[in-house]
Amino acid sequence: MVDVGGLLVLGIILVLIAPFLLLALIGILWTVVYPLMLIWAVLFSGKKLDQQIVNTASREASLRESLGRDPLTTIDGGYRTDITSCGVVWVGVVYGPSHWHLLIGWINNLVGGSVDIFQKVISAGRAEAMQRLRESAVANGWDDVINVRIDTSDMAPQGAQRSIKAVEVFAYGTGVKYG
Amino acid sequence: MVNTETIPGMMITETFGVVSGSTVRAKHLGKDIFAGLKNIVGGELSQYTELLQESREEAVGRMVADAMSRGANAVVNVRFATSAITAGAAELFAYGTAVKAE
Repeated sequence: MVDVGGLLVLGIILVLIAPFLLLALIGILWTVVYPLMLIWAVLFSGKKLDQQIVNTASREASLRESLGRDPLTTIDGGYRTDITSCGVVWVGVVYGPSHWHLLIGWINNLVGGSVDIFQKVISAGRAEAMQRLRESAVANGWDDVINVRIDTSDMAPQGAQRSIKAVEVFAYGTGVKYG
Repeated sequence: MVNTETIPGMMITETFGVVSGSTVRAKHLGKDIFAGLKNIVGGELSQYTELLQESREEAVGRMVADAMSRGANAVVNVRFATSAITAGAAELFAYGTAVKAE
């Protein structure tokens, strides 16, 4: 009887302190891993971004070559009258600068002028989103995408602490099939 | 379902007003931590891309259900809106005009 009671008390204590233990563990892990990741970011994030840009551009070029045109247009009703079926296509990409890029951007911000590094990061994200919209339109069997709209929204709310520094690029349009 | 003002090749005969669908979703802690680590290196955060994709599907599904309950057979001029409530939880909102098209 005494043993069961003791175990019960121990169990309750464990359940009560478990969340704090977990938080402490995450905190320790974060302080150990963060500097390593930052060093990695300083060394390789610029290269990674360039690779991403080249990769997106080459996929775009090969798709354009196989179709003979760019399937995306921003015209509301399209430019052809022989449309037989249509439906919405959309794609979202969450894209963020590395903490090294944030530091470069912050220094650039002190000097003023155009903050080229953020422009580069967001352009890479947007190009990737548009390329995925083309790919998803082709995969769904649409010939063209008309009335394309591109939205950008912040992933992190204002004033949140240690939040994710990223934007979501969201591209959508109406896929159409010609008869 | 289209995001243009009219449906190419079809006539809109009746409107049923604005229909909408929204959802708030979040990923579990492990994926949040992983995304936080990935954010240090930069680039795409595929966890959140996936999160927003499935939330949008849910929001659109609710909007379509709303339109069908009103007796519509199409939704035109669909628009999407996103707002972040806290880090890692996003509200996705889809709205459009429910119509009957022939």
